[in-house]
Amino acid sequence: MSNELNDRLRAALRPVDPGERFTQGVLARIAREPPRVPVAAQRAVRRVGLRWLSGALLAILATGFLVAHQWRAQHAQRGEAARQQVMEALRLTSEKLDLAYRVVKDKEHSGA
Amino acid sequence: MLTRALAGEAAAFGMLVRTHQRSVYSLALRMLSDRHEAEDLAQEVFLGLHRNLSSVESPAHLAFWLRRVTLNRAIDRLRREPRQTVPLEDASSLVIDATEQRDPLLQRRLRALLGQLPPAPRAVLLLRYQEDLNPNEIARTLNMSINTVKSHLKRSLATLRERIGDGANPGAGKTELGCLPDEAG
Amino acid sequence: MNASVKVLSAALLTGWLAVGSATIAAAATPGALQLPNFNGIASKAVQTVDISLDTSLLGMAASFMDSSKPDDAAVKEIIAGLKGVYVRSYTFNGDFQYPEADIDSVRKQLSAPGWQRLVAVHNSPDHSNVDIYICMVQGRASGLAIIASHPRELTIVNIVGSVDLQKLHQLQGKFGIPQMQLPDNKAAGNN
Repeated sequence: MSNELNDRLRAALRPVDPGERFTQGVLARIAREPPRVPVAAQRAVRRVGLRWLSGALLAILATGFLVAHQWRAQHAQRGEAARQQVMEALRLTSEKLDLAYRVVKDKEHSGA
Repeated sequence: MLTRALAGEAAAFGMLVRTHQRSVYSLALRMLSDRHEAEDLAQEVFLGLHRNLSSVESPAHLAFWLRRVTLNRAIDRLRREPRQTVPLEDASSLVIDATEQRDPLLQRRLRALLGQLPPAPRAVLLLRYQEDLNPNEIARTLNMSINTVKSHLKRSLATLRERIGDGANPGAGKTELGCLPDEAG
Repeated sequence: MNASVKVLSAALLTGWLAVGSATIAAAATPGALQLPNFNGIASKAVQTVDISLDTSLLGMAASFMDSSKPDDAAVKEIIAGLKGVYVRSYTFNGDFQYPEADIDSVRKQLSAPGWQRLVAVHNSPDHSNVDIYICMVQGRASGLAIIASHPRELTIVNIVGSVDLQKLHQLQGKFGIPQMQLPDNKAAGNN
């Protein structure tokens, strides 16, 4: 009975698609958003008002984004490597458990 | 897709939205029980995602982030503008006729009954049955202890089971669950 | 030594061994083995698998699994309660190229209080041996150890934390994990 309720809940709560109109609404709102510039950079440019300072800041920001991008890429690599190691570890573990089962089952069938 | 969206490709971000909008919108809808509010909240969530995309580390983290933000915002809204919710113990009036044979109607009633639960157990049930998360994942998403998650699941399911009348008294009468919009378009 | 089928079925199919009074003073990390440096063995191996995943790496791996995919979700569920997964596996191109003494330091740890041998399978025809141990702390399983040896292969597995063997069994057929032929399906319940 509880499985029936579980099944009914899953059926009742299947995700509903709001449709392409929703998607376009989101993208339209994003398009109306002002371009993202860090607040600290905005203030620095207003205070100093020097083109070279804003250029230097942009260069620093660009470097920062590049470093962050590289970090993300490395993090993704490390994470994927960890994931693959988990899979391999579980595969080996399961293989050895299976070996034990097979031998036990063989002995059981042979009446040992 | 995430990498391209992080790089600023608008089309890639659009794909992210399309990939996750069912989950986000459905969570919002079933928390707020109002289609327009759910759309508004879901749009806010994706706007927030766009602003904070650089903090997303992986596709799995993205799904986690979206669920958490959607539910937190929905719970915040419900706290600011309380709707009529019925504590589990007082849900005695929400009995459903167990002889109802038409599943779509029963599904609608299940959703309606879910909408009567307090926000926290409702969120737990949604993550379990809509998003198919296990209790550990639910606990991490909602920042709850695992025991609290299990308690919510146990009590909510017991109440739902009682209300849909599994083996229940055939004399139990129908009652109104409130008029909620049909989710099917 | 023949394995006890009942012990195997109860423990491996339910995933937990309920022991009445198996209480030990908890070690810093119950269920964790100090695996020796197997450099001597590794240098002779033609293939080596060396996996060491602590809590943070397991968490990182889990974050890269997609909960919306049933296979990934199943694996995530298994590793959710784990504190460490350690595997050393060596394959050789000749027989018995690993001295037993290298494994003795591991076996010695497994004779400490708290560790119990679930299964000892010694298969004469092909000289393959599998010993499966479980660490019990206050009646709860907190570690799993497997020593599997074959003339041309040695594998040691140590899983620290709450490992659910039944959930591991449910990974059958996924990610290349071989199907488990359970001796008694009646006892195999779903969670």
